[in-house]
Order: sequence, then structure tokens, then C-alpha cells
Amino acid sequence: MDRIRISFRLNGVEREAFVSPEERLLDMLRDDMGMKSVKEGCGTGDCGTCTVLVNGKPVLSCIMPAFQARGKEITTLEGLNEDSAMKVIQDKFREYHAAQCGFCTPAMEIVGYKLIKESDGVPSKEEVKEGISGVLCRCTGYYDIVDALRSAAEVIKK
Amino acid sequence: MEVLMPNTLDEALRALVKNQDAVIVAGGTDLWPRIRDLEVRPERLLDISGLSGELSYIRKEGGKVRIGSMTTIAEIYESRELDGPLEVFKDVAAKFGSPQIRNAATIGGNICASLSSEDYITLLLALDASVVLKSVYGERTLRLEDFIVDKRTVNRKPYEIVTEVQFNDMTDGWRAGFEKIGRRNTLIINLVNVAVALRYNGRVEEARVALNRVNRKVPGRARAAEKALLGKEIRGDSDLEEAVEALRGELSLTSDFRASGEYRVALAEVYFKRIVKRLVGVA
Ligand SMILES: Cc1cc2nc3c(=O)[nH]c(=O)nc-3n(C[C@H](O)[C@H](O)[C@H](O)COP(=O)(O)OP(=O)(O)OC[C@H]3O[C@@H](n4cnc5c(N)ncnc54)[C@H](O)[C@@H]3O)c2cc1C
Ligand code: FES
Ligand code: FES
Repeated sequence: MDRIRISFRLNGVEREAFVSPEERLLDMLRDDMGMKSVKEGCGTGDCGTCTVLVNGKPVLSCIMPAFQARGKEITTLEGLNEDSAMKVIQDKFREYHAAQCGFCTPAMEIVGYKLIKESDGVPSKEEVKEGISGVLCRCTGYYDIVDALRSAAEVIKK
Repeated sequence: MEVLMPNTLDEALRALVKNQDAVIVAGGTDLWPRIRDLEVRPERLLDISGLSGELSYIRKEGGKVRIGSMTTIAEIYESRELDGPLEVFKDVAAKFGSPQIRNAATIGGNICASLSSEDYITLLLALDASVVLKSVYGERTLRLEDFIVDKRTVNRKPYEIVTEVQFNDMTDGWRAGFEKIGRRNTLIINLVNVAVALRYNGRVEEARVALNRVNRKVPGRARAAEKALLGKEIRGDSDLEEAVEALRGELSLTSDFRASGEYRVALAEVYFKRIVKRLVGVA
């Protein structure tokens, strides 16, 4: 099969990959790059657990062709582990029991991170709900996630 | 499968004329799931994501509004150009998929997908928009209504790329509204969507009504309802009875596993009335 050579930045590091034409960004990240924080829930664009940042914007890696990653900057949770704001978010997720089975957690933390970084002050409940609306959680009922993110924002925005 | 990855529109058009079997991929949100399901099995893909610099723009000039085909739904949502009556574009965006989908999905992909679930087709029909297609041979402009042929069929030559949608800016009393039931990401693939554009100065001077299923399986204009609105001064529901009656006659909202036809028609009527009343400022 014809493979396509692409280069991109993954979590701040220049990388290269040989992808097949029908490969999804999700497969490239999990299988070739070992980024296991990226989860496949539905594979059809509906659940959001496969969310990663492409050029700083949250997108769904399960419906994005891997070859479209060429020349882009891709960020997964692995790349934010040392980030001070992300550390606060993760502490708050623990404190508020915002993760139960944990399957949606990487995506929730990424969209939450993005939302907090981009908002002027502490985002309102409604803004947080809108921000996380593209990620499904089957366990928590969302309230703990919203509270954890707002509480994290209070620390980060101080 | 081979993938062509041009970086400019010129390169893309030259590649396409030589590979007319190539399937175009923009944001991929519609196409990629279908490729994965083997519903489409292209030999060749033309990836136009490299053209987003050239083809994503929102411009107002000479009384026209032009939106580049690679403009994403998120860019529409955040645009400052789309103000006043053009805010209706943001109402559509706010109800479109999820934030992640909006970051990838393009307006060009929306109209080219040619389905009853594509929300911008309905809005753009109510604005009587046109589609600009480019090829190595030149450019042509087609009314959107003539571009949308049927479900998954558009009036595009295999060597053409859709580069823009354009429509007259809404001035002198023009206003437009949009409603749909449900958001796609809550698994309610729009059962019904409705867009109405009116020129209203005490009375309806011009009207355009579009819904996701009129006569065919793709969005279209409800011309009988439009006609019934003309000349009307709208103070309440009773002034809309005739138009609603006309609308009921021209809908082809059929039953499927998601909803019955009756339910869809009832929704369409409610939304139609709601939009018109909102547009003319009647509660
Ligand atoms: C979870 C989910 C939710 C969604 N919610 C909504 C919703 O609420 N409302 C809605 O309207 N849609 C929705 N969609 C459908 C989809 O996101 C839209 O149709 C989107 O606008 C398609 O744009 P794209 O750039 O991703 O198109 P692509 O998938 O890249 O392409 C779509 C089609 O258009 C053709 N094409 C694309 N660009 C061009 C061009 N410039 N010239 C010629 N041909 C072209 C392609 O060949 C393909 O056939 C949803 C999809 C998903 C997966
Ligand atoms: S796995 Fe991508 S949206 Fe569900
Ligand atoms: S914690 Fe289980 S899906 Fe969210």
C-alpha cells in the first residue's frame, strides 16, 4: 500500500510518520506515536473522547485523516503533563471526583484547559457547559466536571 | 488509494483536471466517516485543507457578502463581519454539531454534501445565495438552488472546485431567521430545519422560505408559502394561517425511524410561525 510521508510537531517535538491514506489521526497518534491518552469512544464524531488540539484548536481525531496533520502542531494530554495550568486542572478533577471510569477525562481536561486559557476571567457555568458540550461522559453527570473546571479556573486566573 | 495534497488553488485545479476521479476532502467531517464505512471507495483523494489560507474569508463588498468555501463553522461563529441581520449565520453555527466539529467542518463541505441535514443549505437558499466554482478553464457562478440537484448530487463538473458562496447583503428591511430541532451531537440529526428571509416594512414586500425537505430529499424553497406571505401585515397567528396552509401542502417530510412525517410537519409549521413572528417583532 502507498504510504504517505508527513512531518508535523507533536507536543512540541518535530516528528515524521508514514501513514496510509485511510489512516485516521487517532490511529497514528495511538498506534504509531504511543499517545494513549487519545481514546476512541464512538469513532463517528459523536462522543468527543478522541479530542486533540490541532494548531491549538480542539478537533476530533477519529474523523480527521492522518495526512491532514502535515505541517500542523498537534497537542495531546501527554504534551500538557508538565503544564502548570493542566496540573491545577488535574488536581481539581481529583478533589471534585470529576473522573470515575476516566475514559472521557483526557478529552474533558483538554477542552477545559483550552476554555480556561481563552477566557478572560473564570468562565461561567454556562460557558463551561458549552465548552465541554462536545465530550460525552457516561459516569459523572457532568456537575462535578463543571465545578472542578471552575474551581481550577479560580486558581489559574488569580 | 492515492492522496493529492496541493498547497494552492492553482495547484489543486491543475491536479484535479488531470485526475477527474479524485474525491475532494475539505474538513472531512462528512466524508471521512463514509470512507471508513466503505460507503465511498475512492481511488484518489484531493485534499484541499492546504488551501484554507486562500479560501477561508468573509468579505463584504459592493453590496455582496462573500464567504470562502474553506471557512469553518467556528470562523463563522466568531466572525465580526457577520453582524446585524447576518447574525443568523451564528444562530446556525451555535446549533451546529459540537465545538470540535465546528473547528473542522467547512461551509463549502456543507453545501457540497447535499443532504437534508446540512443546515447552511437551508439558510443560504432563503438568502438566494450563489455558488462560485473554479476550474483551469475559468469560473462560473450558479444559483445554489440550481447547484443542489438531489441527495448527494450537485451540479459540479469533476474538474471544478467550489471556492465561494455569495449573496446580497441584507439591507432595506431584509431580515432572516433559522430554527432546527435538536443538535446533531445529541443524536438528533435535524428532523426539521427552517429558514425564512423577509423584506418587511410594515408589510411583507418579499419573502423567501426554505426547509430541509420540500418536494425532494434535499432542502428547497417553499414557494407557495412565500407567495401567501406577500403583502401581509403580520400582527399574530391569524395573519399566517394562509401561509401555513400553503406550507403544509408543499412539504415532503416523510416518516423514518427518527420521527413520523406528521410530527415533522407539525414542527415545521411551529418553527415557521415562530421565525416569521420574531422577524417582524410580534410575540
Ligand atoms: C458529529 C457530527 C455532527 C454534525 N452536525 C452537523 C450539524 O449540526 N449541521 C450540519 O449541517 N452538518 C452537521 N454535520 C455534517 C458535517 O459536519 C457538515 O456537512 C460539514 O459542513 C461538512 O464539511 P467538511 O468540510 O467536513 O466536508 P467534507 O467531509 O470534507 O466534504 C463533504 C463533501 O463535500 C465535497 N466537498 C467539500 N469541499 C468541497 C469544495 N470546496 N468543492 C467541491 N466539493 C467539496 C466532498 O467531496 C464531500 O463529498 C455533522 C457531522 C458530524 C460527524
Ligand atoms: S471517538 Fe471520536 S468522537 Fe467518539
Ligand atoms: S468518567 Fe466515565 S465517561 Fe466520564
